Amino acid sequence: MTNKFKIKRTNLSLWKGIAMVAGTFSFVICMLVLVNYIQINRVDPVNTEVINSLVDRLNDNSNDEALREQIREMDLLVRKAYFTNQWQIKAGGYLFLFGIIVTAIALQLYYAGKQQLPQISDKEEENIILFRENARKWIIVGGFGMVGLTLLFAFLTHKELGNQFSEAASIAIIGQVDNNSEAIPLVEVGVKEDIAEIVIEEENVAVEKEQALEEESASPQAKEEATVVAEKSETKKNSYKGMYPTKEMMANFPSFRGPAGNGIAYQKNIPNEWDGASGKNILWKQPVPIHAYNSPVIWGDKLFLSGASATNREVYCYDRNNGKLLWTAKANQIGGTPVKSPEVTADTGHAASTVATDGNSVFAIFSNGDVLAVDMSGKTKWEKNLGVPDNHYGHSSSLLVFEDKLIVQYDQKKNSKVMALATSSGDELWSTPRKVRVSWASPVIVQNGDQVEVLLAADPCVASYDVQTGKELWKLDCITGEVGPSVAYANGIVFALNEYASLVAIKPGVNPEILWEAYDYLSDVPSPIAYKDLLFVVTSYGAVACYNAKAGEILWEKEFDAGFYASPILVDGKIYLMDRDGVMHIFKAEKEYVAVATSALGEKSDASPAFADGRVYIRGAKNLYCIGK
Amino acid sequence: MKKSFAFISLLIVFVGMEFVAFSQQQRFPKPEFESGYTQPVTSMPAPRDGMFAILDVMVLIAALSLITWFILKRRSRSGVVAVSIFSILYFGFFREGCVCSVGSLQNVVLALFNPGYHIPLSALAFFVIPLVYTLFFGRTFCAGVCPLGAVQDVFLMRPVTLKKWLQKVLGLIPYIYLGLSVLYAATASDFIICRYDPFVGIFRFNATFFMFAIGAAFLLISIFIARPYCRFFCPYGVILNLVSRVSKNHLTITPSNCIQCKLCESSCPLDAINKPVAVKQMEDKRAATRRFILLSLIIPALMIVGGWTGANFHENLAKVNSKVRLADELLHFDSKTMKESLEIEGFRTSGKPAKELYLEASEIVKQFYYGGWILGAFIGLVIGLALSGLSTYRYREDYTPDKGNCVSCARCLKYCPVEKD
Repeated sequence: MTNKFKIKRTNLSLWKGIAMVAGTFSFVICMLVLVNYIQINRVDPVNTEVINSLVDRLNDNSNDEALREQIREMDLLVRKAYFTNQWQIKAGGYLFLFGIIVTAIALQLYYAGKQQLPQISDKEEENIILFRENARKWIIVGGFGMVGLTLLFAFLTHKELGNQFSEAASIAIIGQVDNNSEAIPLVEVGVKEDIAEIVIEEENVAVEKEQALEEESASPQAKEEATVVAEKSETKKNSYKGMYPTKEMMANFPSFRGPAGNGIAYQKNIPNEWDGASGKNILWKQPVPIHAYNSPVIWGDKLFLSGASATNREVYCYDRNNGKLLWTAKANQIGGTPVKSPEVTADTGHAASTVATDGNSVFAIFSNGDVLAVDMSGKTKWEKNLGVPDNHYGHSSSLLVFEDKLIVQYDQKKNSKVMALATSSGDELWSTPRKVRVSWASPVIVQNGDQVEVLLAADPCVASYDVQTGKELWKLDCITGEVGPSVAYANGIVFALNEYASLVAIKPGVNPEILWEAYDYLSDVPSPIAYKDLLFVVTSYGAVACYNAKAGEILWEKEFDAGFYASPILVDGKIYLMDRDGVMHIFKAEKEYVAVATSALGEKSDASPAFADGRVYIRGAKNLYCIGK
Repeated sequence: MKKSFAFISLLIVFVGMEFVAFSQQQRFPKPEFESGYTQPVTSMPAPRDGMFAILDVMVLIAALSLITWFILKRRSRSGVVAVSIFSILYFGFFREGCVCSVGSLQNVVLALFNPGYHIPLSALAFFVIPLVYTLFFGRTFCAGVCPLGAVQDVFLMRPVTLKKWLQKVLGLIPYIYLGLSVLYAATASDFIICRYDPFVGIFRFNATFFMFAIGAAFLLISIFIARPYCRFFCPYGVILNLVSRVSKNHLTITPSNCIQCKLCESSCPLDAINKPVAVKQMEDKRAATRRFILLSLIIPALMIVGGWTGANFHENLAKVNSKVRLADELLHFDSKTMKESLEIEGFRTSGKPAKELYLEASEIVKQFYYGGWILGAFIGLVIGLALSGLSTYRYREDYTPDKGNCVSCARCLKYCPVEKD
């Protein structure tokens, strides 16, 4: 018989030493991690007392650049400390684990070396009767104890939860029925009151002066009558009788995603096929001096776009017939502009916002908050700095024009707002603060009966503002995250979406409602298009889906190889969708996917196309293209 | 020594791999939320692609076959230790404790009660394969393939023996835990085994402070009390225990005939060796039989008491369900005096009608009422069977493993001086 009980002798002192060192190391690391953990829980890097007080000081004196810089540096320092702490906890955890493993191995080997030969117990045989008696006793005690405690807890906390829920459900149903029956009159009253308020707010200076003169001479009764008449006439004056977008706008392509920014262009006979490599159907091609991600806009024979770097900000005007660069307007000497441009990411740049035009002027905005108005011959009409937008990727919301108002969506980390600047002077006509987080979406203007609304999307809501006064008409909390896509609108339904949130169809009104919600296809950059009863959603990873706009069901879905950053444009019953490789996918805006053509530009592009007179204008990464027959 | 170095080298390689994953995580930290929202620790890591899921199943089968061979053929404790370390590294740290057989029990229950849920084949395989091995070879899965058991085993250094009656009483806890986990999985409320697994948070390096403390406490206790989680908590262990009792080729302490040398008597840290029972040690047969019949007869009464207690407790049980919790919170929410919680804000912005939530919650509470009855009756049955089982005596001449409780760790084997015939 071999000796199975031979004890393997190991170097006991070595393993004991290793175990002690590793154990002490683990203990020290554990304590450090604990201290770090406590520290990290006490510090909120975005809400420190010192920085908050400095920010308060800055709010009192917003031109103090040194203070602004000091806040930035401190903020960076606090964030760095926070993330270093987090890293230390994580790395400490690994070191602790490593130490524990070494300790365990060393101790195992130590104890293995110390093993004794098995001993035969001299104890008397176990009294299994006593063991069983004890076990039975304690099981009974434990069982009764458990039942007692459970019942005690159950009776103390009992509240007929199931019945409460059933009753609450029935109350909710009754409440809903009541609300529905009262909904219509409530809405009507609300709208009337809103209009009355607007009337009072919107009295212009001339009318006030006239009234003041009349008040001096008229009797009280006459005054009363005059006020009533004035109110009535103001009510009429405020309701918009025109058509938006105007016929002139529709004949052109005046802003990002077409007239009113809704993703629809109104041109006809647009070519489908071209090839940048062979030059097929490429009428002209011109380099753009400074690269940017904004898209071209067109008025008459002129095409506008902008370009910017950290030091230069420019607006370009091309003759769209021959591609000649007619003029370049620079925005480098505006008062209040910070010396240093804000940090932006490479995929946003300093001029992600598309310019807008009303046929008299071209308006551009840049990452540092510079706004520039240039007339059609390239002469600067006005310029101003809106304050550097606090936006970690870079400002990208495009501009829109409504009559004499330039609409600017200025969502940033703090003090977000939407404002209207006078197209003639740049003066602020109205400004409405928005309780939203920073966003990258652009405004869409829609005419809803005799009211024209600016629709904006940003975490946490989709909101509507009266374009005349800036008054918030309605809002609905339904969107989250870093909102990039703008909304789409058709047949009285607003569609909004964002990646990691959802796609929502909203019935607008004083009490907006979600008609349906979907999660299958979400976008973080390109905006959707709504057309008739269809909704087209494009994702940045290359999927395109068509929904029934009323019911929310998917009608078709299609995967493309390259992703999309450019927003699609609907024109002449077809959708033009540029992928990131510069290939235009053209398909019919119908209930079934019908491909029309696939045409390559020959260079990458993230810009949406513009259309005029049977031609397509596309901004590539380096060049501007005119495509036609 | 060579083996030790080999283990340490292997360990360093795996820890290195973890560091790579860790540095990748650091490059892309989770987003911060200004609202104060903290991201919950996920119960399970992302599922594996088809090929890798099959690979995991293959590794499970290979590890089970290897450890069974080590235990039954080679009778080698070293082999068990080697597989244990591999399992900790692969199933524990590398696969982050998921899918694990212990948790897969819930997937199976969820699939049985919810026709809409399609159980992943890997989860089903992880549930069934260890049971099949146990049916033939005893709990070789527990010996060293289960990372939860293996990690406790590694820490066992100075085993102390608990009082037998205490082991018996504590041994009923896994049945209660099993009942609760089945109830919560059947109602699609939660996978409590995963949520309250004391070791996965350590394997994944994402444990909350509380769960890390619980895991560390279990490991500290493991130094003195062998496998506290396996013996006194593991719900899958309950099923393996029952299956193992009828296992065909269970590990035997002696490879041949027991010579009653008593050398193995104290070798099992789990106290899972049945010692010989002489007739003189047994209770008077008539008294024992009478008690057995009496206790067997009161089992239905215990089940009714248990069921009634469980049914009364159903509201508290139901509050684990997120919908019930939200409905309860919404019901008692007063916008004038209370601040809206993130859950209520989330629900409000979802646009879902409140009545729908209340109706769903009401239905779930009803499910828990019946579930409470079944759970309570099950616990009553377990207690009744344990009591009556404690009145039976079996004559035994040799030292044999307690097939139900023995985890086939193979520690006892080297204590037997008998050689194979």
